[in-house]
Amino acid sequence: MEADVTVIGSGPAGLTAAVHAHESGAKSVLLLEREEELGGILKQCIHNGFGLEQFKKDYTGPEYAERLIEELEKTNVQYFLNTMVVSLSPDKTITAVSPEKGISHIKSRSVVLAMGCRERPRSSINIPGTRPAGIYTAGVAQRFVNIDGYLPGKQVVILGSGDIGLIMARRLTLEGARVKGVYEIMDYPGGLKRNIVQCLNDFDIPLYLSHTVTEIQGKERIEGVVVSKVDQKMNPIGGSEQFVPCDTLLLSVGLIPENELSKEAGVELTPITKGPVTTETMETRVPGIFSCGNVSTVFDLVDYVAETGMIAAGNAARFAAGDWKKGKNPVEIIPGENVRMLFPQQYSFKDDLILFVRSAKPIDKPVNIELSPLGVRLKRLYARPNEMIRFKVSRDKLKDVTGPVEVSITER
Amino acid sequence: MDVEKKHFTCVICPIGCEIDVELQNGNVVSMEGNKCEKGKEFVLQELEEAMRILTTTVPIKGAKWAMLPVRTDKPIPKRLLSKVIEQLADIELQAPVKMYHVIVKDVAGTDANVVATRNMKKVNHPKDAKKDLISRKEG
Repeated sequence: MEADVTVIGSGPAGLTAAVHAHESGAKSVLLLEREEELGGILKQCIHNGFGLEQFKKDYTGPEYAERLIEELEKTNVQYFLNTMVVSLSPDKTITAVSPEKGISHIKSRSVVLAMGCRERPRSSINIPGTRPAGIYTAGVAQRFVNIDGYLPGKQVVILGSGDIGLIMARRLTLEGARVKGVYEIMDYPGGLKRNIVQCLNDFDIPLYLSHTVTEIQGKERIEGVVVSKVDQKMNPIGGSEQFVPCDTLLLSVGLIPENELSKEAGVELTPITKGPVTTETMETRVPGIFSCGNVSTVFDLVDYVAETGMIAAGNAARFAAGDWKKGKNPVEIIPGENVRMLFPQQYSFKDDLILFVRSAKPIDKPVNIELSPLGVRLKRLYARPNEMIRFKVSRDKLKDVTGPVEVSITER
Repeated sequence: MDVEKKHFTCVICPIGCEIDVELQNGNVVSMEGNKCEKGKEFVLQELEEAMRILTTTVPIKGAKWAMLPVRTDKPIPKRLLSKVIEQLADIELQAPVKMYHVIVKDVAGTDANVVATRNMKKVNHPKDAKKDLISRKEG
């Protein structure tokens, strides 16, 4: 099989990319999804708050997915469900397997990576104790409750204050479970403020900052956890241990871009985002392979995921059509003072730069976000690690840059 | 006279102003921390009647999945959230269902409707299909 553009994954990034590749003139667009339905994680995110910036609407995850699927159905994009990509080569040959077709090979002119991210499991944070049943990542519990109709437990402790953990605190409470508390190792919450208010405060669920779970107890089923306060270096403080009985522990301790396929294709990754090194065009270091959404870096908002999907798809269509000049060598965009994460990491002089930045610590004072040596700056009232900052720098301002661009966040 | 103090985090925009309010006989006598008028409106609404969108699921038969996601089509009083959940407890739907199909009208007297938030197709014998898949795997 052959295609102009092949999109791997049909979550918000992949759906948007497939539609937009078609709209950008790609003649044959393929969308590959390993599950039996389109939509990715949106299907289980039944809460609202999706598309506020993109559509100026307050959709739930499933509504947002249906809207994108409706747009997809109007195009001639071919999509294959139950189709798992097992390998991707640097020359953009895709090997996929499905129950219907067995093994198939697709030769694609360009590829859009949209595989999303995965939750960090217990083993990635090394909690001591026994290994009983009743320990789930927040997203797995979300799937059980919202799609399969199972309640994972009745007395719940949540470790980590990421958005999925907060959303699940409310969800489990509404379904009749008692959420005893959300414990966060950092001294600020991981999730968005609106989720702290509407998911915890509304239901009187306590949030314990600078706390973590230091032991899991129970033989067959989890019977409780020991929680401890932590010091500024995040080490547990001796003597602060408290036993909290529970039958369920949810982990909401971070997400990691899923780049097994990217690695196989020789795509260079960066430890800053754990995703591919890309330019403002979303092109990776392998020509013709683009990446977007949470496989690039974990975004806070679906609007940003979709935006990167549009950029990647437009350029993938251009690449497939042969309308892609090598141009000037890209310059590096590097994190400076108080910048923990930035995306993309290179600028290739082809387009305006949409830059995403995350601050290293919370600053609840007016800040400047500065691009040195450009002198371009954005003024903001605050900068917090749990809220990505998005801003656009026009191609015109960047055209004379010759060396690396350093991004910093400083108090005003 | 007794002064009652209350604290709010505004959720109108991502800034999330921390707003302190003093009340006397239920009337606002001072408000501090809001950076704009919208924050004031938010607090006054919260004091009068906190309103929230409710999203949850209801069981569905004859579909690929066990649960159908639903929402209220407009915000409802926060104090009625659990009442609406209770009212939905006895409902069981039959596939197919179209997105925005009204499942309960004027739920718990709130004037809001509970509607489906996705399409869900009818599937013939979903359990048999699953069994088939398992036996194929083992075979």
